Amino acid sequence: MSATRKENFKNQFKPAYLIGHILLLGIGLILLYPLIFMVLAGFFTKTEFTSTVLSIFPIPKQPTLENFKELIIGTADSSVAMYFRNSVIRTVYNTLWAILTSFLAGYVFARLKFKGREAIFLILLATQMIPGTLAIIPTYLEFARFPFAGGNNPFTGGTGILNSWWVYLIGGPSINIMGTFLVKQSLEKVPLEIDEAAVMDGAGTFRLIFQILFPLQLPIMAFIAITTALGTWNDFITPFFYTTSDNLQTLPAAITRISSVGASPGAVIDYPMIITLSMGITIPALLIFAFFQKYIVQGLANTGIKG
Amino acid sequence: MEKTAEREGRPSFNRRRGRHKDALIAAVILVPMFLFWLVVSGFPTLFGFALGFFEWVGLADTPNFIWFDNFIDFFKNPVYTDALWRSIWLGGLVTFITLAAGFGASLLMNMPLFGKGFYRSIWYIPAVTATVATTQVFNIFLDSNNGVINNILKAMGKEPIVWQYSVGWGIFWIVVYSVWKGVGGAALIWLAGLQSVDVSLYEAAEIDGAGRFNKLRYVTLPGLKPIATYIVITSLIGAIQIYEQVLFITNGGPYGQTEVLVFRIYRDGFWDFNLGMAGASSLIMALIVIVATVLYYNWSTKSDKRTTIPIKPVKRKGKRGESHVRNAKGEL
Repeated sequence: MSATRKENFKNQFKPAYLIGHILLLGIGLILLYPLIFMVLAGFFTKTEFTSTVLSIFPIPKQPTLENFKELIIGTADSSVAMYFRNSVIRTVYNTLWAILTSFLAGYVFARLKFKGREAIFLILLATQMIPGTLAIIPTYLEFARFPFAGGNNPFTGGTGILNSWWVYLIGGPSINIMGTFLVKQSLEKVPLEIDEAAVMDGAGTFRLIFQILFPLQLPIMAFIAITTALGTWNDFITPFFYTTSDNLQTLPAAITRISSVGASPGAVIDYPMIITLSMGITIPALLIFAFFQKYIVQGLANTGIKG
Repeated sequence: MEKTAEREGRPSFNRRRGRHKDALIAAVILVPMFLFWLVVSGFPTLFGFALGFFEWVGLADTPNFIWFDNFIDFFKNPVYTDALWRSIWLGGLVTFITLAAGFGASLLMNMPLFGKGFYRSIWYIPAVTATVATTQVFNIFLDSNNGVINNILKAMGKEPIVWQYSVGWGIFWIVVYSVWKGVGGAALIWLAGLQSVDVSLYEAAEIDGAGRFNKLRYVTLPGLKPIATYIVITSLIGAIQIYEQVLFITNGGPYGQTEVLVFRIYRDGFWDFNLGMAGASSLIMALIVIVATVLYYNWSTKSDKRTTIPIKPVKRKGKRGESHVRNAKGEL
């Protein structure tokens, strides 16, 4: 083994390998460049950012941690810390629901026998083909017309649950269909004897699901959790369209509001603020990725092969 | 619960536990989930499709049932047909560049290089960032007054470009952004495909005297066919629905000439409150995606059958020969 490793090391200096290294690293750094720019820009004070002539690598004259501080603990005149908090709450809530629902539904479709199982599953899978963005307007109407929160007439309109925490609470506990599919595939590979042995030892369904089967699925659950977390963290649609009040905004929705979208033409865009918020979205996402990169790469590879 | 029954002889586990109990557990788990799913996803989707058959402008107005008028309008009005056509070719272009570049990268990543885990990660990183956030960095580059690119142009003594007023540049940056975000993910999926190609086929090909190019041509490419159908169609479906980058980079401008269909739906719904038209466009978009997906399933099952035939005889040859040849990963 060590001999192969040594030879491998020598191989690294062959022309073909060197070109491989140069291309992968070079293009990789170009791909990272916008993020490097973002982080460097984060050290600017707001006045310096707007007054300097930006170059390829923006190096501030007086680097400041003010933007980072604003993100994490907030300052007197900004709501950034609140957006950050809302983002975190929403992400954690949706991720927990995704784990629970996709595992339970995956268990049902992989292990239980009942009438119409295949049909229900196929219908669920088929709905995946319908583009998600298309439900934005009807969901808005639904949230606006239906008097979940009381007092709104379904026929003449109203605000329903728009602009309240209900938007986020109801947005979570749906069925994560891709997750269900992955859990089902992976559970079907676990031998039935394990269930049998557990039941023989006196485990009820509840214990069987959570103490025996769930721990066996941790890698796939990690993949579902990370993709859901990243998806929710980066999502601007739900908060942007269904809420208006400031204390419900998340980081992406706040950026959407501050940037040109919805602003009057010719208005000056507050780039320093946008950079701060962008870092607030990007850096946690990168940390999640760094810690769980193994599962993302594995999971992507798996879903790819199965097609 | 039914302990006595469980301790008795053990025919089939499932038969013993019985369909009734299974159905009960399934119902307890699935029914609440389905109700929620119907409320948050099923109903709005159907509602959206139904909207296409109504004329409904503004939330306070009352909807008018108008049969297929919205759909007829869709194909008569160049605003919509242009947006649809742009969605298709822009999606095709983005898919093509992303997949081609991703394939090249995956060939490199498949070499036994040191630190390839690191390379894989840095290539994939753009995919985990939020479109909302990273398009803003692109916008700082493109700012007409103090943008980075214009600063460089000025320093070189050239005229700065007002990117926002040019259709060509708008499309160009949308494509650049989409490729930037997508290429790492494409490379990873191609890589998974490359690694699923049977290693002994490369040995066999080497024995037959195949060089690097011939191995790629006769072993790698046929072996990738199943995954190619998967990635081409899923990427295409994704790329046809691009709209966030359009929203944040050009906002559809100048004069709506970079609008794509999903952007148009968003605009109809939230700017013009033309809800009927938004519903009709949604239905057309969904039909296109569904047709593409069905074509994919048919095509991929067919191509699976096709690829297995030429591979088999080669495989037998490989087993006969001694494998003292290095495989694709450089191992013995």
